[in-house]
Amino acid sequence: MLSLGALDYSPRLAARHREELDAPPVEHELLGGIGLPDPTERCDDAHDVVKMVHGTTTLAFKFQGGVIVAVDSRASAGAYIASQTVKKVIEINPFLLGTMAGGAADCSYWERYLGMRCRMFELDQKKRISVAGASKLLSNITYQYKNYGLSMGTMICGWDETGPQIYYVDSDGQRLHGPLFSVGSGSTFAYGVLDTGYRYDMSFDEACDLARRAIFAATYRDAYSGGTVRVYHIDVDGWHRISEDDSMELFFKYKAEKEAALAK
Amino acid sequence: MQYNGAAVIAMAGKDCIAIASDRRYGLRNQTIGCEMQKTFQINDTTFVGLTGLMSDAQTLEQKFRFRTNMYRLREERDMSPRVFSNMVSSLLYEKRFGPYFCEPVIAGLENGKPYLCGMDLLGAQVYTDDFILAGDCTEAMYGLCESMYRPDLEPDELFELVSQCLLSGVDRDCLAGWGCTVHVLTPQGVTTRHLKGRMD
Amino acid sequence: MRRSSGDKLRDALGLGGFSFDNARRNQVLALKGHMIPKARKTGTTIVGVIYEGGVVLGADTRATEGDTVADKNCEKIHYIADNIWCCGAGTSADTESTTALISSQLELHRMSTGKQPRVVTACTMLKRMLFRYQGHVSAALVLGGVDCTGPSLYTVYPHGSTDSLPYVTMGSGSLAAMAVFESEYKSKMTLEEAKALVHAAIMAGINNDLGSGGSVDMMVINKDGNTPLRNYDRPNLRKFRQDYIFPRGTATILSEKFTPLSSLVTIETETSAMQVS
Repeated sequence: MLSLGALDYSPRLAARHREELDAPPVEHELLGGIGLPDPTERCDDAHDVVKMVHGTTTLAFKFQGGVIVAVDSRASAGAYIASQTVKKVIEINPFLLGTMAGGAADCSYWERYLGMRCRMFELDQKKRISVAGASKLLSNITYQYKNYGLSMGTMICGWDETGPQIYYVDSDGQRLHGPLFSVGSGSTFAYGVLDTGYRYDMSFDEACDLARRAIFAATYRDAYSGGTVRVYHIDVDGWHRISEDDSMELFFKYKAEKEAALAK
Repeated sequence: MQYNGAAVIAMAGKDCIAIASDRRYGLRNQTIGCEMQKTFQINDTTFVGLTGLMSDAQTLEQKFRFRTNMYRLREERDMSPRVFSNMVSSLLYEKRFGPYFCEPVIAGLENGKPYLCGMDLLGAQVYTDDFILAGDCTEAMYGLCESMYRPDLEPDELFELVSQCLLSGVDRDCLAGWGCTVHVLTPQGVTTRHLKGRMD
Repeated sequence: MRRSSGDKLRDALGLGGFSFDNARRNQVLALKGHMIPKARKTGTTIVGVIYEGGVVLGADTRATEGDTVADKNCEKIHYIADNIWCCGAGTSADTESTTALISSQLELHRMSTGKQPRVVTACTMLKRMLFRYQGHVSAALVLGGVDCTGPSLYTVYPHGSTDSLPYVTMGSGSLAAMAVFESEYKSKMTLEEAKALVHAAIMAGINNDLGSGGSVDMMVINKDGNTPLRNYDRPNLRKFRQDYIFPRGTATILSEKFTPLSSLVTIETETSAMQVS
């Protein structure tokens, strides 16, 4: 049987160890590790405990000018707003961005770890890692920890030898490649705007505006999304921060634009 | 009850009261509308704010209207806030074992003096002479009201205080906000103001 | 619409009493995982003690809703009759309405008999009512008063059992208060001694029980009548406070409307001469 090493704490395995070692179980429990309860049971209600940043809207799409990534900035714990200034775009390295939805700690820890793995790859292979490769590293980790209580829904976006790429990776171990994704509690609202306005041949300004409007729509309609709308762009030179707008100012700006258009 | 989301504050000033609510109507995380009425004027001297399950709040508001109208027809006078709050309390307690999910806040002028009364969903009354809160961000608002409240404020000062307490309170709550309505009741009349608030 | 026949009968006969209209719906909502709001409780210290010639009742003034203090200065000593008062612990709505109901029934009883009501009568009415509801009406009471038999003191438990003792405590702070009583109580106390003892017992509850707090309320009942001592001691008043006034115009107003009171508005209508031809 293939051993998962330190990752597998299942009681069955522990019991087997016990038999093999033929020692009284109490001592093993004192040693720690072996006697730990089944993590799938232990993390049964992890979703109730890890509530931070559960509500989120993030999106990313490819267009002729590269990739646009946009996110909101609210962290909530239940109905309470824990923060309005969260950074939900994680800058893995100058050519890779990860987005954050689900557990804040899970996303930031594993994407930081991913950054380390990508740098190791670069030192080893003397070339940048592909987005496909980076996302696969992450999805391998999330699949290993499947049902252990991780909570993350992330998009790994970047530019590699094959051009712009977006991969969706989540804590179920799922990894999808596609041109357009939105993740989080407000994703349905963002998709509504995104799908109506999306064209591959959009100009850069149109693309930024579409992303901004999509995230804004989600902050407006979704209770658990809000704060500032942050937009990033990725091209052949890597990622650039484009804009950060308070969603309240966007609301009154868009409202004024709409009224001006109606007045004409 | 964290389903629709609401926040209501009522405060007493010098011969005046203010009652304010947020304007969001939502179903859990989805915002449906931003023009929800959660405070209702019962008569010249009585306001009621309703939080909780909005379907129950609206049912109750219609029951209140029915009972206050019947009272006016029989007695040829309006219910005073005190009478009204006792009526609300007994109406809620009747359903002790199958309650309406609604926490009312009653504010008015009883013989020209402020009258405030809060209630839980079973109709247990709480009387205060400063402020009453209801809704799902009360923790945030209690802190503000406790530190900012001062007795005998003039109507304009009371308006600013209530507004700031509510706006800051709902800014820390996912389920309430999207604008506010503030009523200030003086012996001369009611001033109703809509406030600019965060729309996320 | 599905309604239990009990409710129909109740409506048809025009009877009062509890309505179970929403009970089924609420059960379904709870089952679907909706958060059901909590009722306000009075995690409480309430006490009573008999002294030479009367009764002293005492209560704290905290009402809680979960972890939040819903009311810092509520009244827990309820009126039953001029010579009988009742402290309540448990679900706020239950203690308030139970005492109000018994109070009105006792008043009718007084009018029909023409005599001052006895404490034991109130006690029996309370225990009958609470027993009928099998503890679902969660009112834990300390009933005290003075009647033609002299001072008497009872505790009534939510299920309808009662005790008659010279000194009693109830609520979440009852252990703290009883500790004081057990060490300090003596028979045939003077009024001043009894007041000091009740004060010490309530203070023990306020200081040692999380569910109790606020101020000390007391009620003295003797053959001359009752003396309410509302906020007899206020050990927990705010000490530091900085006044701040928001300058006018702090909040951005989108729209404003003034409606004068309808009683101050005169509606002018054009009156035309009555048609006679």
